[in-house]
Amino acid sequence: MKRNRVVLSVLIFFAVWLCFSIGMKTSVAEEAGLKPLIYDEAGLLNQDEIDELNELANQMGALRETDIIIWTSDNPENIDVELMTEDFYDEQAPGYDKPHGNAVILTLDMNNREVYLAGFYKAETYLDNDRLDEIRSQITPDLANGDYKLAFQTYIETASAYLEVLPEVKPDITYNSNNSYNNDYSPPVQSPTHAADQYVTSRPEVNREPDNLFLNTWFQLAVSLIIGVISVAVMAYRSGGRVTVNSRTYEEAHTSGILDSRDDYLHTTVTKQKIERNTNNSSGGGSSSGGGMTSGGHSHSSRGSF
Amino acid sequence: MPIIDYKCPNCGSGMVFDSETGMLSCHSCGRNEDIQDSPDPLKVHVFSEGEATEYHCKSCGAVVMTESETTATTCSFCGSVVVLGDRLTGELAPLQVIPFAISKEEAVQAFRKWCRKGLLVPNEFMAADRIKGITGMYVPFWLYDIHNAIEVHAHGKRVRTYEQGDYRYTETRHYDVYRRIRLNYVNVPIDASEKMNDQLMDRLEPFPYDQLKSFNTAYLAGYVAEKYSYDYKELFPRAQDKISDYIDSYISSTVSQYTSVSFSEKNIHAKCRDAKYTLLPVWVVHYDYKNLEYTFAMNGQTGKVVGKPPISKLKVLAWFAGISGVSFLSLKLVTWMMGGGLG
Repeated sequence: MKRNRVVLSVLIFFAVWLCFSIGMKTSVAEEAGLKPLIYDEAGLLNQDEIDELNELANQMGALRETDIIIWTSDNPENIDVELMTEDFYDEQAPGYDKPHGNAVILTLDMNNREVYLAGFYKAETYLDNDRLDEIRSQITPDLANGDYKLAFQTYIETASAYLEVLPEVKPDITYNSNNSYNNDYSPPVQSPTHAADQYVTSRPEVNREPDNLFLNTWFQLAVSLIIGVISVAVMAYRSGGRVTVNSRTYEEAHTSGILDSRDDYLHTTVTKQKIERNTNNSSGGGSSSGGGMTSGGHSHSSRGSF
Repeated sequence: MPIIDYKCPNCGSGMVFDSETGMLSCHSCGRNEDIQDSPDPLKVHVFSEGEATEYHCKSCGAVVMTESETTATTCSFCGSVVVLGDRLTGELAPLQVIPFAISKEEAVQAFRKWCRKGLLVPNEFMAADRIKGITGMYVPFWLYDIHNAIEVHAHGKRVRTYEQGDYRYTETRHYDVYRRIRLNYVNVPIDASEKMNDQLMDRLEPFPYDQLKSFNTAYLAGYVAEKYSYDYKELFPRAQDKISDYIDSYISSTVSQYTSVSFSEKNIHAKCRDAKYTLLPVWVVHYDYKNLEYTFAMNGQTGKVVGKPPISKLKVLAWFAGISGVSFLSLKLVTWMMGGGLG
């Protein structure tokens, strides 16, 4: 019976260790309190407005497990707004679940009066080009009028509402013959807060599985069953006695050995392969953003002027 | 006169080999006789070939019924120790023997203990109260000394990867590899009895070779012994097969500096230098469980038990459920402790 307990404790230890080693990364992101998500470097908002938007973004972001970020900049170096956003993601490493994780970024380039929206990871899947265009078209009039707070609020709420439902669940927003929205989850501009709440309650939990595979109940169950099968199989196999001799048992070491050996060098071949940088690896640290993709590998975006 | 018996010079009772003292002992008067000092009657008596096909017990005169492989047994009428001398002479004479170190009582105890340790065996079996018979048997083995001359040609690769800029470089250095190896194995045991299960016998190893004694018929007194069913030439392929894995692992160890090796030529020339006919001590336990007989074997020196016990489906299920359940709960607990208890 003593042996049983040893086996059990080893198994438990292993399971705990496995979870901790995987879980460390995620727990970093789950600090208490509010994350700064509003980076108003262009000074378009007053402190009260920033606080209010930050609270809203944190609240909505927590529901969707996504960082909803706003960054305004005077862009004195006159960098392209798309590059700005990519650099921001690479350098700030935002993400709800982990650094370089789920995030949607709205970048406002006040120098060129351009707006750019981009989603990463979960947000990349949920916010495709059509949806980002839709959000942008909703906030552009407010941005043009200088009503920044309202525009940002609309952005946070609309993005949050879209993050609830996968684009595949229902086709993209369609128009009926009256040319008005005929889609029950397309976010109404008039009462966005109410709309967002409504989706939380009306939508099934189908798409709410956590992103981290190791937190998935089915996965955990499968791992447990596999551990069980392997343990029992080993126990059954060993019940009949094991072979306890090895290759050294009958070897006569003092008369055995290598009599002659040759290692002739022939030639060298070298192959090279482009490195696919992946921010999934949080320890990467390297930054290389080129083309239309950041290291996050995002490809969905929407840009425009106001 | 092919039958040899061991009578106590004091009282005339039968003497048997005692595993604790390593001597011949008389249960009636307690006399012990050193085996190494006493002359082996086999070396004194000369048997003419084909002299007897029927054996008579020297104590009671009854016909001793044996199988043709048996070399030592007890008379089924009077219980006297009987060694069939002509089956142990000439080519059939064992060179050496490892005597029993575990007595019958110790063997039963050790077997019971082993049964209790079985995690998957049924409870009734664990009680170990159905031992039908336990027999101390000297199993014939060939101990081979095999010399191998090995020559190997291979293509070896050493792979190094490094990063430079945006590229990952994989550099492979190719080598022509040659090895000439001498690899000698001594005392590789192969069971030569037709009756014994080869797999079971392989698992009984290792036998302590420091206990090897030159053969004396007196060691067989009180035990059952067999003569070999296959000679060393017939079993040499099995010995080669047994060491082939060892040879492969040795060859691999000589080219361990390479990332990958593909052998183009592997010449192994094996030579049987010696094959020693040896009797090794095995306790054979017959166990009755639910009308099925299970056979277990125990190393007569080390007490190691081998043999397939019955497996309780209920216990397998219980262990499976227990281990899976605990694993699952701990996984869940950890998830919960991390504050990510979703799903």
